[in-house]
Amino acid sequence: MKTEVSPQKKVIIIPCSGIGKAFGSISRDATYEVTENLRKDSTQTLCLALLVSGDQESLQLVRNNKCITVDGCPLQCAEKNIKIAGGDLASSFRVVDVYKENRHLKPRTITFLDPDGQQMALVLAEKIGKKVDGLLRNQ
Amino acid sequence: MSEYLQTVFDKFELQVRKGYYYTKDDLWASVENGKVRVGVSDYLQKTSGDVAFIEVAKPGSTIQQGKEFGTIESAKTTLALLSPISGKVIEVNDRLVEKPELVNMEPYGEGWLVIIAPSNFEDSRLLLSADDYYKLMLEKLKSEHGKLESR
Amino acid sequence: MMAAEKKIGIISCSGEGCVEGTISRIATRLVLEKLRPKDTVTICLPLFLAGGKEERKFARDYPTITVDGCNKMCAKIATERYSGKPASSIIVTNFNDSQCPQLISRRKLNDEALNVTRKVADRIVEEVDDVLRHWV
Repeated sequence: MKTEVSPQKKVIIIPCSGIGKAFGSISRDATYEVTENLRKDSTQTLCLALLVSGDQESLQLVRNNKCITVDGCPLQCAEKNIKIAGGDLASSFRVVDVYKENRHLKPRTITFLDPDGQQMALVLAEKIGKKVDGLLRNQ
Repeated sequence: MSEYLQTVFDKFELQVRKGYYYTKDDLWASVENGKVRVGVSDYLQKTSGDVAFIEVAKPGSTIQQGKEFGTIESAKTTLALLSPISGKVIEVNDRLVEKPELVNMEPYGEGWLVIIAPSNFEDSRLLLSADDYYKLMLEKLKSEHGKLESR
Repeated sequence: MMAAEKKIGIISCSGEGCVEGTISRIATRLVLEKLRPKDTVTICLPLFLAGGKEERKFARDYPTITVDGCNKMCAKIATERYSGKPASSIIVTNFNDSQCPQLISRRKLNDEALNVTRKVADRIVEEVDDVLRHWV
């Protein structure tokens, strides 16, 4: 996979992608919404597992660019691992916090998100997008 | 010697704190200097998922054994909390407003819910011992396979 | 020595960088939810990497199957490092010729990607059944 940064890519979004919970799937979907749609020219993602396995290109990427982590739950595995890797952690999001602000959304499925899960991912993606804008303005 | 009775279900370790009392609805009660601290069991927090909201009766409220004194809510479910004992609420765990995840992370410790001044200590004899609750939990696991969420 | 209860842990990479990561994730979930729900447990790789005690203990005590998107094999390497050699390892790129295309969405799988997902899921099931047959 590509780990080099093209000149326009400034912010790295790293989801936890936890496989056992709907919130993990939402973290992943929100990340793709940002990197493939909302802010596709200014963001990219990378494999968290690759980072932890010590892949040098991935490590350089997170150390040389602003990072935003997107965790499904309060265990915050993505944030923890970025900190351990020495990444430049600029901001962190938790899907559970988006749920607290959108109590009516009850995502129930994990493998393929149901409408509530998709909606929660979109809400989260918008928040991440605004944070990306703020980070780039301050650079 | 461990402070807990424990079992493994799938990849999950489920613990029951020794020395506490329990209800069939998966709440625990710990007697401390004449007062009773109340929380939810490890089994309940694991089956509920990530707790996002907790609402409990305010200090000064009178509550009855077996009656609802609050709720916990996750994306997965909303559960009524039925009091293990009758009495007056004298303290609530304010930390749970900002950090409801304490219920999941430390159900027998920092995730406690309320402290009650009991009106009738006799109520404690109606509660389950840790050993009896442990057996009940094993029965629930057998009949409710697949309910636990990854943590 | 294998534990008394017959459960197999499936550890998927879920890599975000390539469509093969999404395929590995969905194939794993299909096995867990539909194809072999009573025999399998999924191990959350980020939690495993971050030190999750239950995940690592399970992977030490029970047989595991790793499912990686590419030949960097993050799930296999992590499992070997923290818990022990997996019973079997599957790499998604062995099932298609796309070589990690960036043009197709990593999120919404097209028909070709869904076909690959089914093949990977079927392979996982074969490995699960093989482990169960040889369970001592």
